[in-house]
Amino acid sequence: MNIYLPIAELSVNIFIILSLGGAVGFLSGLLGLGGGFLMTPLLMFIGIPPNVAVATSANQIVAASVSGALSHWRQGLVDVKMGMYLLLGGLFGSFTGIWIFKLLSSAGQIETFLAIVYFILLFSIGTLMLIESSQVIRDRIRKKTVKRKLHYHNWAHRLPFKVRFYSSNLYISVIPPIIIGYFIGILSATMGIGGSFILIPSMIYFLGMPTSKVIGTSLFQIIFITAFVTLLHATSTFAVDVVLAFTLILSSVIGAQLGVIFTNKFRGEELRALLAIIVLTVAFKIGTDLLIQPADIFSISTIKELY
Amino acid sequence: MKNILIILISLFLYQGNASALVIGSDLNEITIGANFSGQDLLVFGAFYSDPSLPRDAKGDVIIEVKGPPQTVKVRKKKSFYGFWLNNTEVTFKEVPGFYYLTSTTEINDEILNKNNITLLTQQDTNDIEWGNIRLTKDRRDFLNAMKRNKNNLDLFSVNNESSQIDILDGNLFKTNIPIPNTVPIGDYTVSVYLLINSELKKDYSYGFKVKRIGIESMIHNLAINYPLIYGLLAVLVAGLMGWISAEMFRRLRKA
Repeated sequence: MNIYLPIAELSVNIFIILSLGGAVGFLSGLLGLGGGFLMTPLLMFIGIPPNVAVATSANQIVAASVSGALSHWRQGLVDVKMGMYLLLGGLFGSFTGIWIFKLLSSAGQIETFLAIVYFILLFSIGTLMLIESSQVIRDRIRKKTVKRKLHYHNWAHRLPFKVRFYSSNLYISVIPPIIIGYFIGILSATMGIGGSFILIPSMIYFLGMPTSKVIGTSLFQIIFITAFVTLLHATSTFAVDVVLAFTLILSSVIGAQLGVIFTNKFRGEELRALLAIIVLTVAFKIGTDLLIQPADIFSISTIKELY
Repeated sequence: MKNILIILISLFLYQGNASALVIGSDLNEITIGANFSGQDLLVFGAFYSDPSLPRDAKGDVIIEVKGPPQTVKVRKKKSFYGFWLNNTEVTFKEVPGFYYLTSTTEINDEILNKNNITLLTQQDTNDIEWGNIRLTKDRRDFLNAMKRNKNNLDLFSVNNESSQIDILDGNLFKTNIPIPNTVPIGDYTVSVYLLINSELKKDYSYGFKVKRIGIESMIHNLAINYPLIYGLLAVLVAGLMGWISAEMFRRLRKA
């Protein structure tokens, strides 16, 4: 059965969209990651134009992060104040991101840009996850327990404009959260991702936030960043396809819930090793597309007339 | 749906062995709704001539369908240190968003060119921004690349060697023109040319429309005319769907 996408202006098999949303949702529920970094490249693989893939993916993440943030919110695991500072940077970052996106689109380089950035991103995430999870698995086999530092004192604690974050029990400068938020905003607007896989480690290592508050706070700020990015794309690139977004949301929320149920059935490190392999496979596909001479070195793009 | 459109032209203009044509189409509008996945357009007609004449003398028919004009950018990739990146770019203006050509017999390009039956007419080729592409050979590469890429999207098809037209009992002809799901919105022209001994004798044309209907048209109009409202609705509905699903599954788990 086909469904016509009014903004992408093409028809796609609805079951492909549903299974894609379901699979990405399942992985994000299973591993507690957003999954935007898989959604956008996969949408492009099935023939959705890059601008529609990015803008629509941002729209889909709004739903996914609302759904995820709620349970953290109920348990009081959201540092709203920290979220606001991240958001402040993020709003400026999304403006920069949209500007970059439009600039590269008009220069005809957006596809290459997305391919390169996604390759770097997926390759590094995949490799890091594979190393980390295999180390944990090895340590488990050798019955070693690794002691981790609870709190990092670094340059983030020496900058001016210090503010007290009661919820996270921190007294740090507001500059690092704003800068981190800014970069996440750029990533979100150019790539259609929430950026939690960068945000979460940055919050732990750079800001020294307690791990318990990190996921909820990151989801909280991703809701607003992706909502804002959706608005910016809707008004400037006109590429948000709600038919595609809502179909993806419908299947991804169900997939995410199934993923959550399955979480208890597997060990975390083995799941992360599995995801690492999936991520590296996608990275490999994108990388080879960049490096192997394409079958046709010419490509066309039609300038959409807006009426 | 079978809104039969029949154009009757030159019925009374018999001259020697010259034939007249009657042409028609089963649709005067193609509508894109939620389950649109492409559609066939039936174009049919009849040679209106002395029935005693042999088939050859009645002439040959060329059917050409042109979609609304669009601006198309063709880009050529080049290898930079192993990475294939877009390098040079040519902009073609006024390119029909859809082009289809077929004929009852093989018709050589010379006749087509002479009569301006082509994707880009002489006047359109003045609108091409060649950038720094100067050599005729390179320019031809870009033009061919555009045709090839549009052909892959089923938006460009020239079948003047293998006929897609069925001829029934010598006088009637019909053809199915496949309109793909990627078809642009707008006004289309169907032109039918009658050739006798490689001379263009008559040409008739009529139009049809491709338009969005129902929810597709509503969503598209909202997105283009009221982008802020559209964006806000997209965010609101997404947020609501996330919230409802979280609530639903929470209750399910409790139960």
